[in-house]
Amino acid sequence: MKAYTQLGSFEGRGSLEGWLTRIATNTCLNIVRGAKRRPEFTVSDLTEDEQGWLEQQSAGDGGEPASVENSVVATDLADRLLSVLSPEDQQALLMIDGEQASIKEVAEATGWSESKVKVRAFRARRKVREAMEKLLSYKRAGSER
Amino acid sequence: MKDKHITEILDNVSIAMLSESELNEIRAHALECMSCRDAFEAARLSAVVIKSRVEATIEPSPFFQTRVMAALREQQAVESVPAMLRLWRSAKVLVSTMAVTTAALAVVSFIQPSQTAPALDQTASAYSEYSVIMDQNTDDQMSYEQVLSTIYEDDEDAR
Repeated sequence: MKAYTQLGSFEGRGSLEGWLTRIATNTCLNIVRGAKRRPEFTVSDLTEDEQGWLEQQSAGDGGEPASVENSVVATDLADRLLSVLSPEDQQALLMIDGEQASIKEVAEATGWSESKVKVRAFRARRKVREAMEKLLSYKRAGSER
Repeated sequence: MKDKHITEILDNVSIAMLSESELNEIRAHALECMSCRDAFEAARLSAVVIKSRVEATIEPSPFFQTRVMAALREQQAVESVPAMLRLWRSAKVLVSTMAVTTAALAVVSFIQPSQTAPALDQTASAYSEYSVIMDQNTDDQMSYEQVLSTIYEDDEDAR
């Protein structure tokens, strides 16, 4: 809808696809920015399914979540982990690590510089890893009691 | 790499992008370093959940299209009001001038006929007795009877 109403502002310098991607990206970022962020979540916030999934993944050699149920649980867990990040960091991480996009592609889609994309991805990876590490340590501490 | 912590590598690049030899080196270090083992495990699980998140397909609600079209129509309606206002602002002077001119023309056309009425009377009086007799230009406009009666009137007066 934004693209339709802003069609007059398209100057035809770049590709239409790039212009549409930029609009979609910025719109989604604004929506996520508007949503309330949870600063931190602990193992007590996890559902039984999520705790079970973590145990299963830690015990085994990892790999892909096989069943549809596992995929749903993993997706929910991803949403919880991503909620500790800013919308921009979320986007950088999802595009690079999830969609295997290159730094250059992300820079083009968002309008950020390549160094900014790298910094955001680095920061996002570290935050998510630390959040996951915390969850695993809580879980270990809980199972040892 | 054995003596170097691996957290920097884990944060620098996605685990999926690491080569098998790099992964083997990381695993070898993680066996000896407790904190790096936890970090590697966390990074591995994070990569799995992020991949699941991206692969999850989100189906739009069946009413999505209806809602978008309704929102578009609403926005268009809102935008059309200021456009009309803008049009009125720019045309206001022109329309006012046209209205005043029309009114003035109407007044002039109603008043002018009553002013021209005396002129018609003057035309009618051009055929009065005096003008018929005295005005030479009107001779050819006199009828035959008028000429005769005028002549015989003079004769009768002489007698």
